[in-house]
Parts: sequence; structure tokens; C-alpha cells
Amino acid sequence: MEAMANVKERVRMERLSKVYPNGTVAVQDVNLSIREGEFLSFVGPSGCGKSTIFKMITGLSGATGGKLEVMGTSPKQARKQSDTAFVFQDHTLLPWSSVLDNVALPLALRGVSRQERTREAERAIELVGLKEHARSMPRQLSGGMKMRASIARALVSRPKLLLMDEPFGALDEITRQTLQLELLDIWSRDREMTVLFVTHNVFEAVFLSTRIAVMTPRPGKVASLIDVPVPFPRDDSFRSAPEFGRIVRSVSDALKH
Amino acid sequence: MRSDIATESAGTALPSLPSARPAKAAGKPSRWLSWRKKVLPPSIAFVVFVGGWELFCRLADIKPYLLPKPSDIVRAASENASNLWTSVYTTITEAVLGFLLSILLGVGMAIVLAASKLVERSVYPYAIILQTIPIVAVAPIIVIWFGAGINAIVIIAFLIGFFPMLSNTLIGLNSTDHNMKNLFYLYNASPLQTMFRLRLPAALPYIVAGLKISCTLAVIGAIVGEYIAGIGGGQGGLGYAITVAASRLKTAYLFACGFSASLLGIAFFLLVNAFSKWMLSSWHESEMNSHEG
Repeated sequence: MEAMANVKERVRMERLSKVYPNGTVAVQDVNLSIREGEFLSFVGPSGCGKSTIFKMITGLSGATGGKLEVMGTSPKQARKQSDTAFVFQDHTLLPWSSVLDNVALPLALRGVSRQERTREAERAIELVGLKEHARSMPRQLSGGMKMRASIARALVSRPKLLLMDEPFGALDEITRQTLQLELLDIWSRDREMTVLFVTHNVFEAVFLSTRIAVMTPRPGKVASLIDVPVPFPRDDSFRSAPEFGRIVRSVSDALKH
Repeated sequence: MRSDIATESAGTALPSLPSARPAKAAGKPSRWLSWRKKVLPPSIAFVVFVGGWELFCRLADIKPYLLPKPSDIVRAASENASNLWTSVYTTITEAVLGFLLSILLGVGMAIVLAASKLVERSVYPYAIILQTIPIVAVAPIIVIWFGAGINAIVIIAFLIGFFPMLSNTLIGLNSTDHNMKNLFYLYNASPLQTMFRLRLPAALPYIVAGLKISCTLAVIGAIVGEYIAGIGGGQGGLGYAITVAASRLKTAYLFACGFSASLLGIAFFLLVNAFSKWMLSSWHESEMNSHEG
């Protein structure tokens, strides 16, 4: 085990709470410290506040109580530093732009020169295996390919923190498993990248993560934090390993509370 | 994938020109088939209608100043061809200028309104009220302000096409996908970037719908303008020619002017339609012309 003090903290939550104006307590007293290079999944049923936490980390929604630090500063400030990238369940590709232009969008918005952003976009597109489709329009791609393009767009800025909100939620099981492997492969090339992954799929969470925050609803809380002490690289054989079943069971048990 | 995009569907009610179709159309036999299916029935209906009209006028011996025969109309048009062409040309110029103005100001103002909810809330109601004032009531005022002639006519053509452009563009700008807007926000896009890289392109299908309405309205506006503010002599447009032909009971020429005006409207519409296909076919459902998914 490495010395904890030397590892940079990427996200810090202290008694983080969110109460909506109508009185709904979406998140209550969540304490969590996420370190550099972690792959942490929030797993839980709908309404457990995992998406609310995600929104607070991105700065789309403010906390109503407690403290939240992202990259050592406030979520909004962190976003301005452009070290953070986002992937949503919806691919949100611009239908009128080619895959290349879509992937280059975050750089274009920052005013990076055309030459440099094309080079970076081509690198990201190659990472997700869409090299042959760089000039295609989004509507010509399958659902899985659209999600790959969406991931490439997130990777184009070489983020230190990658936030993924149920990215594979709308995909079929086979495509989902392929993309899980590819995501781990991409992450393995840049293990300093911290990934926060929101999902309601326990198997997905166990397969991908180094640590799992199990959330329970009403009010949304982190019921338990479960380590997945299985080394990387992981491949499909991990899905049928006894270790996998054991962790899935403990996550499922924690969900029942 | 591309080839079945070209499979024909009933795109618009108007028969589209073969050149307006995607170049990647299927092989020749099917193209000929669809051409025959689309063009033949209306052509036959046209011939039957015109033939029946001609026959009816000849058999019932109808006075040409009440209802001229199609052959009379064609003769009147060809005898006055140069006059008719001047009128059509004048009307085209006025309609195009009015149309361009309504696009420019309609889209421009929609962008300003969409940029600020406060401005939209305070100004848009008056735009609606302005729209409800009949153009024939406004026209004399415009003539007083700008004098009879092309200036007033262009402004009338612009006014009639302005509101559809404004309201369509505004609806388009305000219906940007929420997730997309979040994405731009998260990547620190400036309001200007969000407007021109996201909201305006996303509004394009709505803008094109506005164009389709405004382009035919601009022709109507130009002709109405010529009724009220038309200048005489060799420079008069179709509206002026119509008033003159009506007052002299030159009914056949009146018909020729009427048909020219409607042909003009159709030509305008087809041009805008072709433009819409060209702009949207690569990404928007409305112009993909296919049955897939």
C-alpha cells in the first residue's frame, strides 16, 4: 500500500447535503474522499441521490449543506481549469458535425488552434477505436459507436477527472460489456486519471471499479464503501471469478439496507 | 446505408425536379418508375383540366372578357411577353429584397430576443400585436413615409414575411436540447459560443420552416405593395399590371399575370426547398427522405 499522504485528493465531500426547495432530501451527510487514480462507482437504485451528487461535482447544481471540493477548489472553479471531462447517458453529439468536429468541440470552445485540436481529436478517436469513422456523421453510427465518440470527446482534453453518469445505461448488454473492457483499457494507459462512474448496475460497478460507494435512497446516503481489491488489467474472465461473485453479493447486501 | 436513403418517398406535395433529388439516387429503372409515378398523374390531370376548360369555353361560347380560353391566355401572354417579363422581373426584385430583409431582421431579432429572456418577455408581445395589424392598413402609412415605389413595396414585402421568420427562429432557438446546453455549460462555452455553435444550428430546421412560409408571403407582399404603392409606366410590377388589366377588362392578360404570380411563388418555394434539402439532408430527419429507423 502506498502512503496515503502522498496521493493527491481529487474530490472531497464533508457532510455534503442537498435539499430541494420542495423539501425532498436528495443527499444527506455524505462524507467521501476520492484520491487520484481511483475508479470509484456510485451504485444504487434510482432516487438514491447518485445523480444529484454527480450534478454537484460538475457544478450544475449547488450543495445546500456541507462542503464539496473538486481538484482542491470549488466545483465551478474546477470546471474552469478544464481538467474535468463529462460523459452522460445521452451521447449529446451535435448531429450537424462530424465525429471529428464533435470530439474536438471542448478544445474548439477553449480556442485551441485547428491544427492542434485535429491532432488531439484524432488521438482520442483512435483510443476509442473509431478511426475509420472520424469523418462520419453521428446518425451514421450505432448506439455503441456514438457512446465511443462521446467518450473520445471527454478524453480529448486529457482530463485529470473523468465524470461518467450512467454512460452505458442505454446500450445493450453485449455492447455494454465491450465498452466496459475498452474503458478499462483506456484508463490503464493513464492511471493518474480519476474516474467517477454513476451506475445502477452492480455487475458493472464491480467489474470496473477500485472502490464502490453503495447508495441507498430516502434520504440519499452512502450506505457503505466497498473496496474491489482485484488488480488490473481485468478481462472477461473476472466476470466469472469467485472473487467477483463475492463482491457482487456484498454490494447487493449493502443495497438492501 | 446511403443507397436506401435514396428510396423515394412522398416528400412534398409538389413534384420535385429530378435534379433536386440526391445525386446518389438508385439505378435508372427505379428512378424512371418513381418519376412516372410522381409526375404522370398530375400531368394527366392538368391536360384534362385545361382541355376541358378550352372545350367548355368554345362549346358554351363564353365571352372572353368573362372567362378567357386557355389559348387566349397563352396568346395574351405571348403578345405582351416583354411587358409581362418586365412586370415579373420587377416583382421578383421586390420580393427577393423583401424576403432577404425579413430573413436578416427576423433571424437577427430572434437571436437578440433569445439571448435574453427579459428582452424577449418585454418585446415579443408587441411583435405579435404588430403582426395582427392588417398589412393593407399599414401599407398607406409606409407609402406616406417612404414614397410610392420600390422602397415602400420592399418594406411591405418584408413586413409580411418578417413575423414568420422571427417566431419560427425564436421557437427553434428556445428548444435546444437541455443535455446539449448542459454540455456547453460544463465545457465553459461563452453565451456567444452557445448561440452560434449550438442554438442557431439546432434551430436550423425551424428557420427553414420559416423560410418556406416567408418566401411565398414575400411574393404576395410585393404584389399587394404594387397595388398600393405601385409605380406606373414600364417599371410596374405584376400587381400594377393586374390593376391595369382589370380596369381595361383585358381578362386574358389578367389571367396571364395571375398565373405568372403563382408560378413565381412556386419557383420561390422550390428554391427554398432545395436549399433546405442541401442544408439539412446530412443530419435532420425532416430532409433525410428515407424510411429507415
